[in-house]
Amino acid sequence: MLAYLAKRIGMMILTLFLIITLTFFLMHAIPGGPFTSEKMLAPEIEAALNAKFGLNDPIWVQYLNYLRGILAFDLGPSFKYPGVRVNDLILDGLPVTAKTGFLALLCVAALGIPLGILAALNQNKWQDTTVMMFATIGVAIPSYVVATVALYIFALKLNWVPTFGLDDWRGYILPVVALSGFWLSFIARLSRSSLLEVLGQDYMVTAKAKGLHPLTVLFKHGLRNALIPIVTVLGPVVANLLTGSFVIEQIFALPGIGRHFVLSISNRDYTTIMGITIFYAAFLMVMILIVDLMYMLLDPRIKLAENSK
Amino acid sequence: MSDVNISVSKEKWAKANLDTGEAEYIAAPSLTYWQDVRQRLWQNKPAMAGLTFIILLVGAAILGPLVTPHTYYEQDLKLSNIAPILELYEVDGGQETPTYFFMNSGNFKLYETDEHGTLKSILRAKKKDLLKKRHLYEFGADQVYVDFSQLPARLLDGEGNELSTYGTKWNQTYWFGTDSLGRDVLVRQLYGARISLTVAFIATLVNFFIGIFYGGISGYFGGNVDNVMMRIVEVIATIPLTLYVILMMVVLQSGFISIIVAIGTVFWVDMARIVRGQMLTLKNQDYVDAAKTMGAGTWRILTRHLLPNTIGPILVTLTLLIPSAIFIESFMSFIGLGVSVPMASWGTLTSEAVETLRAYPYQLFFPAAAISLTMFAFNFLGDGLRDALDPRLRK
Repeated sequence: MLAYLAKRIGMMILTLFLIITLTFFLMHAIPGGPFTSEKMLAPEIEAALNAKFGLNDPIWVQYLNYLRGILAFDLGPSFKYPGVRVNDLILDGLPVTAKTGFLALLCVAALGIPLGILAALNQNKWQDTTVMMFATIGVAIPSYVVATVALYIFALKLNWVPTFGLDDWRGYILPVVALSGFWLSFIARLSRSSLLEVLGQDYMVTAKAKGLHPLTVLFKHGLRNALIPIVTVLGPVVANLLTGSFVIEQIFALPGIGRHFVLSISNRDYTTIMGITIFYAAFLMVMILIVDLMYMLLDPRIKLAENSK
Repeated sequence: MSDVNISVSKEKWAKANLDTGEAEYIAAPSLTYWQDVRQRLWQNKPAMAGLTFIILLVGAAILGPLVTPHTYYEQDLKLSNIAPILELYEVDGGQETPTYFFMNSGNFKLYETDEHGTLKSILRAKKKDLLKKRHLYEFGADQVYVDFSQLPARLLDGEGNELSTYGTKWNQTYWFGTDSLGRDVLVRQLYGARISLTVAFIATLVNFFIGIFYGGISGYFGGNVDNVMMRIVEVIATIPLTLYVILMMVVLQSGFISIIVAIGTVFWVDMARIVRGQMLTLKNQDYVDAAKTMGAGTWRILTRHLLPNTIGPILVTLTLLIPSAIFIESFMSFIGLGVSVPMASWGTLTSEAVETLRAYPYQLFFPAAAISLTMFAFNFLGDGLRDALDPRLRK
């Protein structure tokens, strides 16, 4: 177990290093410096700026400096907002993104799985048909369409929720719904098919035959097995909630990391793009590791397989 | 001891008179796997509806822009934000031929049309009274006021009575209306369809030529080759595809070609993993050994024996990847990193519609419906194909 963990963390650090290197050289491969813009800067000012941010050094010196910064958890200065560091931008947006993302994840898990179970237990009855109909709609309609249509109906026409901002709890409803819609439907479909497969297994019949309580059969024998494929997709779910937040935060004008990221792209603020990408990558890798550990707790067979290696 | 008396009459035990030859007669012709798949797919109504929609969409995307008189970049600012459905009014003003016109509820302007709904031109107001919030239009002897002091705006005649409508007509000049720059929405939708379908096509191509062979080679050779190749895939798969595509777009500058390149470079990863998994189970089958014994080369075994046997999972993965590629493109275009203006993609059309959402909410309808219906079609086809290829999965 510990050896496995060490191996995973080593792999993570290597991956992160590759990603840092890749983004660094990608960003430096873009023609034109970070201060090249429509407004021509005076050559002296540009030279001074380049000197200040160390852009005159050879590229490998800049690269080593950047790596050294990252080891100290410093992602460098933003090129577009004077005096602002990329760390500040991330810390500024993190609460908003984390809150909406966490609520969306909660929605996905706390609604998606029970709905899938409901559909599987009532296969081909009206509950099943209804859940599957909504799940099919949810998987097909892109999040930004859900967001804009919901914004129009519930915020502009019915005035039930504010059009932007997170001043009270009602402001969270539409972003969370739009963000979680796809994965909620996806998880509902997945838990339904996964539970249906488990329900058809022989050990379920055995459990029933030896007189266990129906709920024990469902939870201890059915769900524990049915949850395994669901837990595996939780990693990608977290990743996609993150990227989904780019567009959701733009539509609802939420000041989260996604919005900073999209803005930094249109501003060509290269250090911010790099910094946020690296932050995302690190965050996702930690999440995927957590999911994998959960997976091992849930399915002892996987742990055995790892030990025997 | 049971006291239940079971009596079965003698006749029930009579031997069945059955001709064994007849019982084993095969009524239906035997079907190959692919005939069976086709039959199951054919019977799946949602899948067939999806397929029909996709075929129609491809036809419209290819032929549509060739036959319309409009282009996607041609602007007419005088005819901006026209709705697809017009509510016509009629005045004769003492003249021989009556004038038909409608009001644009977003900007309170009047436009002249003919009686069928073909646009003629914007009408010029005689007097604009911004204090009382009403404009005066004159048609010969008749006067019409546009009163927008309270919303929705009303049309009044000289005495202050509300005008009665002549009828509701479909816009004959611009079937889907025009956008905020007066461009034809229909033709822009069709160009959006071209972009989405091109992206779908590229994604398919990339998956076939990179994903399948990458996964195939990795799985077939195993060992160190597999280790290295899968570590590379793992590194790529750590970051969500969208993030990669965004980074690529930053480096390559936004534009349609960049989107294609960006999707092309990273979109094969999932397929490679699936094919590798299949390869690992298939390569130890007896028929592979048989082929090897008969002297078949690696390439022949891979392309002739192994890949055809993984075609089922490949097709199913593909139908899942195509809508996701279409989604990524429209997503990128929506946040402003996709195709560049004046080119239209469903993503840019949606984001343009969001800008005018308050005044012209109906502009959201067409791009939102187009992308959603296409996603539905591909999803239904994908589900149907999965059920048809592997009936055990049908739940």
